[in-house]
Amino acid sequence: MLRASAVAERAGVPTASLVCEGFRGQAATTAAGLGLPGLPTALVPGHVDVQSAEELRRNVVAVTVDAVIRNLTEAPPPAGGAVVEPAAADIVFEGSLDQVNRFFYENDWSDGLPIVPPTGERVAEFLRFADRPGETELGVLLPDQRRATVWNVAVNGVMAGCRPEYMPILVALVEAMADPRYGVEHSGNTPGAETLIILNGSLIKELGFNYEQGALRDGIQANTTIGRFWRLYLRNVAGFLHHRTDKSTFGNTWRVVLAENEDALRRIGWTTIAEDEGVTADNAVTISRYTGGGVIASVFGNTPERMLPYLADSLLRKVSWELMFTVGMGVGSQRPLLLLSPILAETLARSGLDKAALKQRLFELVRIPATQFERYVGEWTNLVPGRPSLTALVKAGQIPAVFAESEDPERLVPIVCRAEDLMVAVSGDPLRTNAYAFAHNGILGFPTTKAIRLPADWARLLREARAR
Amino acid sequence: MNSLWVLLPTGQRASGEWIDDTLRERVVEKGLLARTPRVGEFPRQRVELIRDADPVSEVNRLFRARGWTDGLPIVPPTLGRVDEMLSASPLERHVVLGEMEPLGGVASVEKVAANAVMAGCDPPHFPVVLAAVQAILDPAFNLRGVQTTDENVAPLLVVNGPVARRIGVNAGWGALGPGWPANAAIGRAVRLVMNNLGGGWPGAVSFAGLGQPARYSLCLAEREDDTPWPPLHVELGYRPDQSTVTVLRAETVINVTGGLDELASVIGSAASLFGILHSGKVGVIFSPFTARRLAGEGWTRADVRRELFARGRLPAETWRRSWIAGAVRASDWPAWARAAAENDGSIPAVRDPDDITLIVAGADLPIPQHAYCSSWGHPPCRVTREIVLPADRSRGRDTGRDTGPADRP
Repeated sequence: MLRASAVAERAGVPTASLVCEGFRGQAATTAAGLGLPGLPTALVPGHVDVQSAEELRRNVVAVTVDAVIRNLTEAPPPAGGAVVEPAAADIVFEGSLDQVNRFFYENDWSDGLPIVPPTGERVAEFLRFADRPGETELGVLLPDQRRATVWNVAVNGVMAGCRPEYMPILVALVEAMADPRYGVEHSGNTPGAETLIILNGSLIKELGFNYEQGALRDGIQANTTIGRFWRLYLRNVAGFLHHRTDKSTFGNTWRVVLAENEDALRRIGWTTIAEDEGVTADNAVTISRYTGGGVIASVFGNTPERMLPYLADSLLRKVSWELMFTVGMGVGSQRPLLLLSPILAETLARSGLDKAALKQRLFELVRIPATQFERYVGEWTNLVPGRPSLTALVKAGQIPAVFAESEDPERLVPIVCRAEDLMVAVSGDPLRTNAYAFAHNGILGFPTTKAIRLPADWARLLREARAR
Repeated sequence: MNSLWVLLPTGQRASGEWIDDTLRERVVEKGLLARTPRVGEFPRQRVELIRDADPVSEVNRLFRARGWTDGLPIVPPTLGRVDEMLSASPLERHVVLGEMEPLGGVASVEKVAANAVMAGCDPPHFPVVLAAVQAILDPAFNLRGVQTTDENVAPLLVVNGPVARRIGVNAGWGALGPGWPANAAIGRAVRLVMNNLGGGWPGAVSFAGLGQPARYSLCLAEREDDTPWPPLHVELGYRPDQSTVTVLRAETVINVTGGLDELASVIGSAASLFGILHSGKVGVIFSPFTARRLAGEGWTRADVRRELFARGRLPAETWRRSWIAGAVRASDWPAWARAAAENDGSIPAVRDPDDITLIVAGADLPIPQHAYCSSWGHPPCRVTREIVLPADRSRGRDTGRDTGPADRP
């Protein structure tokens, strides 16, 4: 009976479960087992089996009826039981470095690499670099519904091997993670895409980020440890764990932070990624989730006419089933990223292309036959419900007219809804003519940009940190 | 100071809560804190480091105080021992077998392995434990009922097939008694899983009035080699080279010395009343001596079942005068039982002869001993699961090579 009540309560229907006196313990136990420890019950005194009809009637009228009415009208809807976890400043373990590492790893708090023990002292040092107190809540993260706080940002930053002065970036990253536009709850989905963090601003140089040769390679503390922090935070606070909440079929390792080459951008007058996303603060992080990507090597030519067909073709080849995010789930949320080395960006800019013009040219070039587009989302996969044709979607007003400019099934259609849905960043070896194309995960990891807020005495704190 | 890394054997629900918090409330409410003074007091994590001059004793002291034992000493479920146990597992450690009623602890293979270590299992026992846990998770077993009822029911585990012999599950002398590590540890592992993942703590969640020794362990193999009949699992449709665990809900185990007459007399007694009420499936552990004698006279297993069905009858008058007939409305008794009482003046112990599970086991004594396991509760239950062994890669390759010209037409 309690099972039926639990189903009803979960559907929002108030219940009263009649329970004989001797069974109250079992009822409470069962309710907890059903995940609703507060399931309202109404007492029936004694046991009905040994009562005469008259006794039973008297008991029910005297006790049970009132309880039933209160159950149905006053009792708050039962909530799930509270998950008990250590408090923020609790010392959960004392031991040698090896023991700490084994302890953290065996309890699923680490990624398999050694961690730096998050001692109270180290956490306090990180907190000095935050512009808000430790207990400040930055959001509540699915799937574990755990509170993201400045404190647990510091703890995971310490563990990842970050330096205390990275703290403002870490806080901004978690604000972005908690932004509903980003959709952190999808981080365990089966395609297993991985987030790329893009950093803009003066902190790139102040904190020693790599933005030149090997920009996406591990080996530089700032880029590498902040990338690791991201994955540790998804594990320890959001709660994505192998074989449980994470259903990625393959996944891949976390990506290091991509810092843009802002010197190059300024030279050619191009905007930064953060500016493209509407954030003009001095420093900002942008997060976005990519299903994959690959290098575009040896771009040959010195004019857009020579260079763009190859770049466009490469971008096209990275995107297939992800087109579901263009016309299906979260229409227009597909945001591929083209990463250019500075020399490529400078060559294109020399021909008079600014970023907007470049995106427009790419928008016109990165096109595939409508039949092929429909194959990706409606024949080889079943990702767009009902498998409607692009023409039908345009007619229904669900996608832009550009997808049905003619009736020809072989007509060319774009892979994004608007030119500005394409993203272009600049980084990497300044003098090598290579690029990199990323396919995007759409609404399941939408680009989200946050300004980075520095503590009031940042300059002094940074000086101290450098002097250590 | 020595240390042990131990895996916590207790249950966590899929939603994250630990069942111990519910248990603590029940324990306090029932005044049972003296038995488990530290219920719910443990670090909320997968693994704990125990540091003590004598860490094995310390683990035992702690686990007992937290309510994680059956009262007997346990083997500490160290990470090393659990890994070793898992090396014999056909399933990866993270695979979830189900949620263990009534408190809903998630039964992952790893958690089951920790409890198997504690019970004293050797790794080769583990596939049997897994199959048994899968069986009690079958809705037909009604684990919630078994765990919370005021009756004394216990799972009866019957192991069949080559695995039983390979790992030494005793089917002969003293098969239900002490002295046989596989019988003792496999049954105990299932009990610890029920206790630690399901929360079936006596007096707090489990309201069995008396309990029974079978709640420590009730596990035996069927005697297959030198008995005349095909074994139980073959009767149930498995191949002889497969291995299985068959689980019954045994209300009790009654020794019966004698022949079919004596067996029928016990089966047709008040012991069957609960089984009749729920149309349950009973178990008869059958003497090898009698089996051979009857087989020599041309009897099959089915013949024995039919005979026990026909002769093991409860007089209708005994039924009408029983306390349970008074406590249960007449209309709640199954139609077949009411009809038999009305038409024949007596009621068979089960609805159908096939509801008697015959298990040939025990010593080959000329004064034959059998046991009758009456059934408890609803629904009728006889759950069989195949025992799956971990894939043996080398054997797979050998098989490939052995497919020589002789196999070709």
